[in-house]
Amino acid sequence: MSRKEKSAPTRRSFLKGGALLAAPLAVAAPAAILADDATKARLAELENEAAIRDLHQNWMRRVNTGASDEAASLFVNAKAAAFDPSVRGIAPDHDAAPDAVEIGADGTRAAGRYHCAVETENAIPRDSTLAQMAHAQGGGYVRSVERRVLRVEYAKNAGKWAIAKAEFASA
Amino acid sequence: MPTPYPKEQMHRFQYTKLTPQQIADKLGPAIKSGPTSASQLSDVFAGKSLSIVTDKGPSLAYKFGSANQLTVAENGGAAASAGYGALTLGSHMVFFSHLIPDTQRGYAVVVDRGTNLATVIELWFSGYEDNREVQREVYYGYVDQAGQQAPTARHVATNRCEGKGFYWKQDAGAETLEFFPSAAYSNFVELSRMGGELSFCAPSDYVKINDDYYIYTRTECEFSGTFTAYVMDLNRLRQAGVRLGFDRNDALEYYVFRGEGEWLGQHAQFEKFGDEAGNPVPAAAPGQTAAKGARRVYRPFKTMAKMSKAEVDAACAKRTSSFVRPAGPVAGMSGNLGPNTTYLAGRTFTLRYDHAPAIEYRVEDAENLNWRKEGDANWTKARYQGWESMPGVIMFGHLLEGMPDHDGHAIVADFDQGLVTCFNGYLNTPYFANEAGVKIHFGVIEMEGLIPPKYNRHKFTEEMLGRAVSQNYAPNLTSMHLYSTPHSLSWIIFTDKDAGGLQWSGPAAYVKIRDGLYFMYWLEEACNGTLGTILVNLHTMRDVGVGYNCGPNGLSMSAVGAHERLAGEFDIKRFYQVPTTGGAV
Repeated sequence: MSRKEKSAPTRRSFLKGGALLAAPLAVAAPAAILADDATKARLAELENEAAIRDLHQNWMRRVNTGASDEAASLFVNAKAAAFDPSVRGIAPDHDAAPDAVEIGADGTRAAGRYHCAVETENAIPRDSTLAQMAHAQGGGYVRSVERRVLRVEYAKNAGKWAIAKAEFASA
Repeated sequence: MPTPYPKEQMHRFQYTKLTPQQIADKLGPAIKSGPTSASQLSDVFAGKSLSIVTDKGPSLAYKFGSANQLTVAENGGAAASAGYGALTLGSHMVFFSHLIPDTQRGYAVVVDRGTNLATVIELWFSGYEDNREVQREVYYGYVDQAGQQAPTARHVATNRCEGKGFYWKQDAGAETLEFFPSAAYSNFVELSRMGGELSFCAPSDYVKINDDYYIYTRTECEFSGTFTAYVMDLNRLRQAGVRLGFDRNDALEYYVFRGEGEWLGQHAQFEKFGDEAGNPVPAAAPGQTAAKGARRVYRPFKTMAKMSKAEVDAACAKRTSSFVRPAGPVAGMSGNLGPNTTYLAGRTFTLRYDHAPAIEYRVEDAENLNWRKEGDANWTKARYQGWESMPGVIMFGHLLEGMPDHDGHAIVADFDQGLVTCFNGYLNTPYFANEAGVKIHFGVIEMEGLIPPKYNRHKFTEEMLGRAVSQNYAPNLTSMHLYSTPHSLSWIIFTDKDAGGLQWSGPAAYVKIRDGLYFMYWLEEACNGTLGTILVNLHTMRDVGVGYNCGPNGLSMSAVGAHERLAGEFDIKRFYQVPTTGGAV
């Protein structure tokens, strides 16, 4: 079982957390103990979500500034960081569904789903005179922006979250 | 009888690789005498002193002794004596030029006496691997007036000349057509020096002084390396400038000139409205600082593969390909090609050329055909692509495997008229074996149920001459053709901001197929060696065509297709009418 929550502190997640915190006031001691456990679990979950949000934003900053080497350090395996060499920028798609993060039941695995606008840059093949001239003047690239879903898997090791896998899917 | 034509065109001439010492020896007398001039030099500065301060450039303290002698001190250094030549333009503009003693450097300077602003162009030889190629750096500044605050305004690099075209006649008789389809390059036709058969391209600077006056430069890179600069009054069509370089005989050309011009037209600019920025092609990569004089120069002759016949044969044997679809996410020049036509599928016909062997065809489907020369027993299978550009008019192309010169045919067949034109590309040409040549075949279609004309043929045309047409092949791959002479065209590459950028030119020919439908080729001579062919439909504003190229990776025929825009037209046909002299009319 896993719990599914919005990664952003939305009104819905706030109310849900607030309900859990409010419950112990109206029940007997065993329930209070249970509530205390639930609070701790919820707190741990919120901490995990916050850590993953930070990790995601940190990664996005590095992707968008072209700091690929630094981005690789956020991955469990640096080789998994090279997910699509044509990507030059990833921006949140505010017209799409909100970001979603699922924390695994054991608290060591998580999955994120982020709707985003992905800017890619591909070099025009230098197989024609025009393309060669375009490159010679500092151009020769095609940039485009597509709506995609970024699916990211996370792993927690020694108390620290890292990216295990990242891939794009069509929006 | 003398003709205006050179024995070798500019792109074929082997210019001497002059040494720095040879250049220094040739400059020596001109340093003392200054530039020559067919017009009387101006004495507007004679007896005066002038102190010019530039941004990020030299400060120049002048004392003008007479109309052709000055002293100049650079950056507060010792004054040196040199000859100079000055010419005025209008009431305010003064253009002058001089060299610096004991150097291979000099200056071309434009002073606006109305605003006291100045543009200083520093010039030098032996700054590139080809020592004769003049290098330049443009500085903006002002005339320092004692006791007065320095002006904050400056002359500025601009794209405001882009799209303009002029005929110029200089005081010494030189006549040129000059087109400015780019904000970084220009296109010039030497009418009097070389007969105007071909146009050539050169990296250029464009500087705005005010809405009437502009400064233009060009350096004939890849050719003689000669530098030309002038200030021009676009409203009154006058110019004053300088030419500095070494001619085909390695003689120094250093003269100032006046000229009068004619406006030939204006073609479209494609930058956003309000974008008047000059220098659209950055000299240095992002984040880097350009070295003095640096700029992006297209050097196709330097970079092209130059192969022998044996190398061509080996490359063709290793890999010959037809219409291979590009791999990867970017379409290249076939991005806007459109689907193949099935018009030819299942048809059998003969293309009977007037002065070349007839070719028989059995077309299997939309991509495969069989051909043979009339009289041959065996058919050869070839991959082809074809497009019905106008109803009944099919353009298609295929390689002719087994031909000794590795021929490829780009064909336009009008099945409604029974006419055909073939641009027959071939290799093993005289200068470089991998450089394509072309033979033009006119003829008729013979096919069951089709009676071709006996006399009528497609014809060469000048209807495209002077026109500019843009071609968008794929996202971020847009060029523009300028049909600059009856026998050449130039192509301009746009920058990311849709300013005209690098440009080059090659021999070309134009054939009219129907009203609004033109079949043309260009040869990328001393460039990539490609034969480009397109069929331009000015009604649908689409072109389709085939490219034929041989290089170290083999021989290929590829498809091209573009969406076009009409960009305007220069009025230049009159420069190619041969006047009749003598005899009865």
